[in-house]
Amino acid sequence: MRRGLATGLLAGLVLGLLVIGTPAGAYHTHFQYGCNDTFYNHDPVTRADARDYAYIAAAEGYQWAGGCWNGNNVDDSPGDPVEDPHTLGEGGDCSGFTFKSWWERAETGDPWFRYHAWMQNVHGPYSAADFKAGVGAANVTVAKASTTYMDAFAASNHIGMIYWANTSFNQDRIIEAKCEACGTGTWPRTYRGNPDYSGVRRLYWAG
Amino acid sequence: MKKKWRWPLAGFVLGALVGATVLTVNVVGASAPEPVPMRAGGFGEILHTPALLARAHKPVELSYDVVCGALKDAPGSHCAPSGSVFVRPVGASTFVRLPLHEDDGLLSAVVPAAAVSVGFDYYVVMDNGRRRTARLPAAGAEAPQHVWALRDWTTVDVGAARFGRTRTPSAVVGGISWGRGDAAVGLDSGREQSRIGPSAFDVAPDGSVVLLDQVNHRLTALRGGRTVHVPIEFSGGEGDLAVGADGTVYVLDAATRPMVRAFTPAGSSIAATPLAEKTADMIRVGPSGPLVHSYPSEMWLPTGAGRPPFVPGRQLASAQPFRSVADGDGVVVRASPSEVKLALVHGDRVVRAWLLHGESSFGEVQLAEPYGDGMLAVVRLWDEHHAEFRVLRLGPEGLLESFDVTPAEWAESGSLSRFRLRGNALYQLRSGPSGVEIAKFQIGGTT
Repeated sequence: MRRGLATGLLAGLVLGLLVIGTPAGAYHTHFQYGCNDTFYNHDPVTRADARDYAYIAAAEGYQWAGGCWNGNNVDDSPGDPVEDPHTLGEGGDCSGFTFKSWWERAETGDPWFRYHAWMQNVHGPYSAADFKAGVGAANVTVAKASTTYMDAFAASNHIGMIYWANTSFNQDRIIEAKCEACGTGTWPRTYRGNPDYSGVRRLYWAG
Repeated sequence: MKKKWRWPLAGFVLGALVGATVLTVNVVGASAPEPVPMRAGGFGEILHTPALLARAHKPVELSYDVVCGALKDAPGSHCAPSGSVFVRPVGASTFVRLPLHEDDGLLSAVVPAAAVSVGFDYYVVMDNGRRRTARLPAAGAEAPQHVWALRDWTTVDVGAARFGRTRTPSAVVGGISWGRGDAAVGLDSGREQSRIGPSAFDVAPDGSVVLLDQVNHRLTALRGGRTVHVPIEFSGGEGDLAVGADGTVYVLDAATRPMVRAFTPAGSSIAATPLAEKTADMIRVGPSGPLVHSYPSEMWLPTGAGRPPFVPGRQLASAQPFRSVADGDGVVVRASPSEVKLALVHGDRVVRAWLLHGESSFGEVQLAEPYGDGMLAVVRLWDEHHAEFRVLRLGPEGLLESFDVTPAEWAESGSLSRFRLRGNALYQLRSGPSGVEIAKFQIGGTT
């Protein structure tokens, strides 16, 4: 009897672990379960306000098609598979981060400002390619040579905003949601002189 | 049911229930939303580009901006920073306070010509208006920023960009396709993110080209047609790499908390240390070990060649505004879209300086290395739709040689990690849709 019970127990345990454990192995932090939909329409907004806002996301995570972060200076969902929105990780992707940092509205014909809570899970309607083309009533393309801080450089697959222009080696410090392994942060980049990138501006800053 | 199956079946059901329960509890626990910790209202960050090289007898304006730390997750106005710059002319023993004044959205102070004429140290103390203060550089008077006075320099007109008229490499090393296998190098790409290839490379004393294949968490050594991979610890998305004269490989892991790691040529870990500042772009090997160019100070932080490496506090206390090279000299770079200043310095003295100007916009200075009795520099020239790198061999009297190199930057690398100079050979990390290669250009000859 005992041997039979033990054998069955072992077999059942293995089966239970396999049946439940295999799909569970694909689980993620599900950070976005704690996100919200809090926003406020707001005016006026300056470039400095926008940079202060973007700075909070530095050192947070990157999530493809994501949009919320908690400001604790930690990527709370590191190592998620790329291009999978179902991982529900922390952070925005490059275009979603730009949308929130530029206080844009989801209504593409409305150019005015909206404060998105850090934990608001919103990406916005624009891809990097859209920003590069100046899509949306709030956005225009500009010459890279005439850009200033909190303008952006956009390519077809990536966008980053100018955090501080002209370092001693003549790079720009860019604030961007870079990649899953990189997270979101500020890094010196050479996008300004790279022909893949175009200059983009959010209109109607108050200063 | 036969009696002999009763106990095994009961055990089987019980085991399955126990296994499922244990896993479900763990998974649900791990997946449950955490309470949201909000960032405490820290200072934020001081933004500043150091002046570094200034024409003697002309005042220098030092300008700063401040990014404010958040008080709460709600719309609010920018903070109201204020502060002072503390300036000490060369030869003086004390710092003089210069209050910052708002000027065109920045906080600025003008250092009088008398101080500039001899060169000066400086640091800033800033209050963000929310009862938080910070210094830049962080060690203040202990390791200040410096401005060298330029009395004599060589002016070089680099002319206009010649997009498309580039030199063919004298040799190509590598030629590795994208992937994860033994004959490949990693590419991190996807929609709505950067396309990132190997961040950096260097040439080891034995002639091997060592690639930082951070996407695959490994070093890749190329020599004589052989490719050797060595796994390493790497947590960020990008970084930089430098190989010392003894073959030690120093890796800058530019994660959200940057680390400097040292490895033997075989890939065994020697040491690792966190960097004192939160952003960095370059690691180079100086006479006393690795040096990291970091932000927001734009100082070069020594991280120590030995074990244990320097802790962050010691890095800040021994930071230098120039990159140490041989014979006690240092290299200083200060560039803008209209002008590039390069200097070899020795202490407070400028040994030799060059001012580059031209008809095209300057981009970044990719490389500036002592070469003979001058310097070899690689600068980007660009317009809205084109770019090239111009290689400049500078002598005491001016330009000795120049040629153009195609950027070949299909995939992103570390921002200032595309070129290395070894002896009379300039190496370039190139990428395209099919993979990466290292191009080699022989230095020498005429313009």
